[in-house]
Amino acid sequence: MDNGEPSPSFEGLAAAFAKAKAEKEREEAQGLRARTGDAAIANKQGELRFKTSHGLLVAFFTWILVLHVLGIYLFTSGFLLTRLVLEQKSECSVPPIDLTNSYISSSSQRGCWHPKSFEKAIVIIVDALRYDFTVPFQAEDNEKPRHFHNAIPVLYETAVKNPNNAFLLPFIADPPTTTLQRLKGLTTGTLPTFVDAGSNFAGTAIDEDNLVAQLRNASKRIVHLGDDTWHALFPGYFEPNLTHAYDSFNVWDLHTVDNGVTDHIFPLLHPSNTSKWDVIFGHYLGVDHAGHRYGPDHPAMTAKLNQMDGIFRKMIDQLDETTLLVVMGDHGMDAKGDHGGESDDEIQAALWMYSKQKLFGRSSPSYQAPPSTARERPVAQIDLVPTLSLLLGMPIPFNNLGAPIEEAFIGTNGQDYENLAIVHRLAAAQIHRYQHEYAQARGLDENARASSLSLWTAANDKWNTLGGKKVSLDQWKDAFTSYVAYQSETLSICRALWARFDVSRMMHGIVILAGTLVILAIYARGLQGDRIELTPTLLSRGIIGTTLGVIAGTGLGIVVPSFPLEHTMIFCTAVGGAAGIGTAFRYVRRRIISPVPNSIWGWISIVFTMALSVGFASNSFTIWEDEILLHFLSSFAVLTLISSFRQKDAIDRALGCYHSVLFIILTRVASLSRLCREEQMPYCKSTYYASATSSTSATWQLGIPFVIAFTLPNLIRSYYKGTRSYQGSAILWLDFALRFGLLLSAAYWTLDAADDGDWYPGYGEILKTIKTIVAQITFAIALAFGYSTFSWAKPLLNIETTSNNTKGSAEQVVADGGTSQITILGYANVHGSRYSLLITMWLLAITLVQKPMGAGVIGLAAWQIFSLFEILDTNKLSDTPVGPVVLGLLGSFHFFKTGHQATLSSIQWESAFIPLRTIKYPWSPLLVILNTFGAQILCAIAVPTLVLWKQPPKKKGLLGDVAKAMGTHLLFYAVINLATTMWAGHLRRHLMLYRIFSPRFMAGAVVLLVVDVVGIFIAIGGTRLSFLSVAGVFGWT
Amino acid sequence: MSSTTTITKAPKTRPPAAPINILDNDTAKLYTHIHPILVLSLYAFQFKSIVADPVPALLRTLIPLSVLQIAYVAICLPPTGSNATPVAPPKPGQKKKPVPGKLESGIQGKIIPAFLSLLLSTLAATPVLTITLILFGAPIATHHAHTLLCAAHISLLATLPLIYVHGVEGEKWREIVALLLPIDEVYGAMIGAVLGAWLGAVPIPLDWDREWQKWPVTIVTGAYTGFAVGKLVGGTLLKGKKISFE
Repeated sequence: MDNGEPSPSFEGLAAAFAKAKAEKEREEAQGLRARTGDAAIANKQGELRFKTSHGLLVAFFTWILVLHVLGIYLFTSGFLLTRLVLEQKSECSVPPIDLTNSYISSSSQRGCWHPKSFEKAIVIIVDALRYDFTVPFQAEDNEKPRHFHNAIPVLYETAVKNPNNAFLLPFIADPPTTTLQRLKGLTTGTLPTFVDAGSNFAGTAIDEDNLVAQLRNASKRIVHLGDDTWHALFPGYFEPNLTHAYDSFNVWDLHTVDNGVTDHIFPLLHPSNTSKWDVIFGHYLGVDHAGHRYGPDHPAMTAKLNQMDGIFRKMIDQLDETTLLVVMGDHGMDAKGDHGGESDDEIQAALWMYSKQKLFGRSSPSYQAPPSTARERPVAQIDLVPTLSLLLGMPIPFNNLGAPIEEAFIGTNGQDYENLAIVHRLAAAQIHRYQHEYAQARGLDENARASSLSLWTAANDKWNTLGGKKVSLDQWKDAFTSYVAYQSETLSICRALWARFDVSRMMHGIVILAGTLVILAIYARGLQGDRIELTPTLLSRGIIGTTLGVIAGTGLGIVVPSFPLEHTMIFCTAVGGAAGIGTAFRYVRRRIISPVPNSIWGWISIVFTMALSVGFASNSFTIWEDEILLHFLSSFAVLTLISSFRQKDAIDRALGCYHSVLFIILTRVASLSRLCREEQMPYCKSTYYASATSSTSATWQLGIPFVIAFTLPNLIRSYYKGTRSYQGSAILWLDFALRFGLLLSAAYWTLDAADDGDWYPGYGEILKTIKTIVAQITFAIALAFGYSTFSWAKPLLNIETTSNNTKGSAEQVVADGGTSQITILGYANVHGSRYSLLITMWLLAITLVQKPMGAGVIGLAAWQIFSLFEILDTNKLSDTPVGPVVLGLLGSFHFFKTGHQATLSSIQWESAFIPLRTIKYPWSPLLVILNTFGAQILCAIAVPTLVLWKQPPKKKGLLGDVAKAMGTHLLFYAVINLATTMWAGHLRRHLMLYRIFSPRFMAGAVVLLVVDVVGIFIAIGGTRLSFLSVAGVFGWT
Repeated sequence: MSSTTTITKAPKTRPPAAPINILDNDTAKLYTHIHPILVLSLYAFQFKSIVADPVPALLRTLIPLSVLQIAYVAICLPPTGSNATPVAPPKPGQKKKPVPGKLESGIQGKIIPAFLSLLLSTLAATPVLTITLILFGAPIATHHAHTLLCAAHISLLATLPLIYVHGVEGEKWREIVALLLPIDEVYGAMIGAVLGAWLGAVPIPLDWDREWQKWPVTIVTGAYTGFAVGKLVGGTLLKGKKISFE
């Protein structure tokens, strides 16, 4: 190709090539040489070859993704609690045990199994009503009351003043403390399973026996007002013309639901309307939403609780004699006002019952006042089910595990142990019947519940000795305590039983994940040369293996009945696929090299990854993951600083040192943004929001997105200018579109704060509309305009022609000859600069969905990513695994810095409402994912640039390099996922399983899948567009 | 740090760096092994009070540590510019002095360089290490005295002997920072102390509720241990080896 002229020594091969090419093109342009037909055909073939290779590569990684999905699914289905749902329903006429001779009614008119106390009931749920909101604040060492203290005194006052009319108790929720789960618990009386926690976005109907269904069966007219989750759980159960449901997920709306409930409930209390209904379920959401939006320690919370106080005082006034009023929280809230986990603040709700009849009592005078903290005399939330059922004369739902609440049955004098024993016997008998059915359905042997069975026999023996004669108080008390003992033992057995894991599924899931890990490790680090050449072999054999696996699995599952079909099929599919790939690796064994690293960079990649993975076995290291990542990232940059000092070339050395130091400093600055998890207290101070007990940004934080908008495009531009790649579309995109988008996103968060803080009263609705539109425009800029720019832009090149007598600059590629010379500006980084436009597009989309502090963090992350490119380039590390691994560390680090933790309660659900006003599928969940894993997504998109940055356009095997880098990046997350999975499985009896290990496992699994998808379809997908664009200029040959 | 002039100069100067040998006399050979034992004993002796109240105890310990380190370099190590190190003095014309006799090398030849090294490691290395500790996650708003003292201990352990043997020449220090020198007991002790301090961060997050987990006890402990191990390994097993990144 060289036309004979001697090349100046500073030009490399590629430069010489481009020079010749430029020469040729110039000649073509002048009409000196016709473009040869052969070249055009070869070019076409080259393009076809690239498209095929690219397609196969995407297919191969997708196949890895499928294996990940199968492994995670299999493990998850064996790990997360499983409970068999029994179809049986309790019936009014079929009591669980012979009724006492004094009572034989068995009709819902008098009460099914026990005489009823109330005709009607109003059950009000105040979402997230934490117990300490309801009791008077007791100062410890000059502590000042918070905004949530003493704001709803009515419950406590009535319970103290009229103990026979009211009682107030701590009401302990079973985690997960999400509303959907709690409503299930509060109506069925049984324990939740963990899997359901994820279905909060789409509630599903309860098919177990429950209180609402029992009421309906007894032809009671049920009215529901408030949170529409009820309709998802109990479709068609409520009186349609009286019922009013409201959207529950718009957590920024504090009043619509509450005002709706209040407006509709008081007319129903009017004597002229009381005959229209039997039971009202009202569900207030304002307190919960105030918590989510502002945190509990905020004047809005005081206002909300005061409003509730007023409502309940009015309800007490209007209540008639035959109606029971129940007010309760379904869960509490943590210090920031969020919930979902199992910390004390999240599970401690309040329960208050009130009646105009004197009916309630206390078994001891010291119990007269409600407990001052939730640790004293708590009742479980499932206890509400038998209590309400018996008070309203309903049968106890079949699956109930709760016990009747003492205060409701002990009588006004606090001595009616006979009644208490009777109701506990009924509840215990129903539990016994249920346990019997469950054991039969599940095929459990009696040994598992031997202890509870013996308690049951003992309790019944005590009961039988009472036999008709004059029975003393103590004997009743004795019988009552034996039934309580049976109930609590059964409950604890059930907790253990339903925390039982399907170990073989878990093991097989881990085997699949481990096998996939090995495949990925060999693919990413153990192959010599260009991976693209091997992809067809690997993929075809993998798919053949998978197909054989599906067939074998289906066959086995059908033929051998003891193998569950689904489980066998999944496992055989994955094993078949792995075996297929195994033969492929054998076939290409000459290309296989030891994946053991041979440089310090390989070793630190392994050390960082393995140290993190091993650390996940310890709850402390899991809790402090953010600090560990900071430590690792700084260590990495110190090593690159040392390495930069070793560089011989002075410019490389200076640049390497500068970017390494910059990287460390940026990491530390980003680390100042923290959102502490409960377990990090008191050694951690949250800075993500205005205060530790708030979930709104401080006013000064609103400035951060503006600073980002003004500085970040310039910073990114400087990385483009180094190679004169700031040309063509980059100018339009970076300087105008990106900056404008970032400004809009900053404006969005200011508008949001204005709406939040009610800065302009009366304009709330307008503000809401404007901010939604602003968010939608920003998204349109980022993705619609961004992707069209990315698809159609030419490579970021410019041709500069200077006359020959001026001295050409040495670093540019020069085609001299004739009277002028041509300099191709941006040539040195044509691939890197072109592809990296994709990073900045997603940067904009991710910045928008982060809170103001998070926008700053994502800005820093982007800056760090570009510095990392320079570090790797100046130290010549683009071939080592360290780049993709550090991007993994960086993504994980910024996950924490954007206000997240590996806990359910730190999910920022409200991000679903940034560009939308209602839940819309699939956008709402995608927005939450973009918010939660924004940092990992950004880093995954940046992976291809690691190997493209400043690479010559005609370098062979660039696509293979991309595959290698992406394989390494996915390998990092796959190792983390496998480690967290194994530890969660291994530590399944650990005290901290549900607080620490299980959430970390879930985070690891979701992150792996998200990064898989992003890495394959956005990053590798994006390289297709950028390679096509570069080849459009430089050709394929 | 550098410019093109450094590069153009490079070919004509600088013979390959050789590892530092301790002085060739019996006292030096004996004391070099006693020294780490003394340093560790000092630390072990002070450990309880450091745990109880880090700031005054660490401050107090700096004095005996300086004394020990000065004694060590004066007894065992060749000062910068002496024959044992091949570093050329900055002025090419200046003639090297002949190896000083034992008597000559007393106060003037050793104690003054040792004190200069102490001064430099306190004034120059300590701030750099303090900043490094903060960048690695030391508290940014609190515990400043703790962090500063921790850095002071590390710099006395790691950099004082290095300054004593290598001086303050820029290019030499580039090589030191770049880990380009061959390993010897001084270099090994520095690397050991830094690595030890790095590893010292590991137990901090554990929920063992021990007093000694408080900042910066584990870091200082790691540095002392790393110093002793690095010095021993650097002076024996790895002596003369070079660190390769590739």
